[in-house]
Amino acid sequence: MGNNYSDSVEKIVNNYLKRLKDKLRGLPETDQSDLVKEIQSHIYESFVNDPSEDEIERIFNVLDRLGEPAEVISARMPDTMVQVGKKKKLPLLILIGILIGLFGIPLGLGGIALLFGIIVTVAALVFTYYVLCFSLIVGGWVGMIGSVVNIFAPDFLDKYDIVVMNISGDPTLDGFLGIGISLVCAVLGVILLLLGRHVWRGFTYLINLPFEKIRERRQRRHLQQASQ
Amino acid sequence: MENKIRQLRKGVLELAILGSLYHESHYGYSLIKSISGERDIEITEGTIYPILGRLAKEELVRSEWMESRQGPPRKYYSLTDKGKKAFELLHAEFAKLVRMVGDSSAAPEKKPEPLEGERIDMKKESDDGE
Repeated sequence: MGNNYSDSVEKIVNNYLKRLKDKLRGLPETDQSDLVKEIQSHIYESFVNDPSEDEIERIFNVLDRLGEPAEVISARMPDTMVQVGKKKKLPLLILIGILIGLFGIPLGLGGIALLFGIIVTVAALVFTYYVLCFSLIVGGWVGMIGSVVNIFAPDFLDKYDIVVMNISGDPTLDGFLGIGISLVCAVLGVILLLLGRHVWRGFTYLINLPFEKIRERRQRRHLQQASQ
Repeated sequence: MENKIRQLRKGVLELAILGSLYHESHYGYSLIKSISGERDIEITEGTIYPILGRLAKEELVRSEWMESRQGPPRKYYSLTDKGKKAFELLHAEFAKLVRMVGDSSAAPEKKPEPLEGERIDMKKESDDGE
């Protein structure tokens, strides 16, 4: 094409163009070749006009000033950047798959057991929490009803051998104490129930935190590349 | 801070490109020379290509491949009518902004020249890119 590079310069230029083409994958064919041709022209003009004596130094000056392939294409095609990011992830997943396939059966079983254990533990904790809530609420109501009955008809419960509250021996005082304690239990139950969702959210937030950080950092890097 | 400078420069670069093409058509390398001239402005040269691509998409510039007397063919850019109108509008707006910054910042030591930015479209005649 009329450019009179020496072999070593040509090699450096071709290496750069190859990296540029890699970045352009996913674009329409005509756009790709057009941009590559344009950059070829730029490199040539810049090379011819660079004042340096040594031609290797010259070509590196030229490419330095031009910038990395990512900079040459960025902003024109932010979509491609995302696609490239996606494509890169795939081989990693396949690799992990192969590794698990080869060595994974014993390790994998352990992993599954561990995962299962974690899930069961979390589920049990959640279950316990809600059982506590409901028993507090139900117990509170039952206690209140029992206490009220105890005040107005102490004999009624005695008939069935049910002792609601027996601290002072005085049925009326015991009744009011019972109502108070039951009320506290019921309210506590409701509060815990309402808090449950927030506790869960906080818990998942804590679990997600490290992953979120990684994701954020990766996004920022993409944005930086795209905005240069 | 480095990032802020880069952002500012990028915004102005687009205007400078339009300004340079307003007067005559350029290929990539000559456009860079015409913008930077002898001034000490560091631009990563590759960044003009994405900008040119976007301007072409917005139909503000058109391009045409032409054979060069030596070396590979060059892709020449020139402003469309739409691009010329856009530059006139943007240029007036930019002049206003520069005056605004000049009035409000009142740098203590040396007074900023309010119309500094308007010179950005004046091309150095010495760089005709041949």
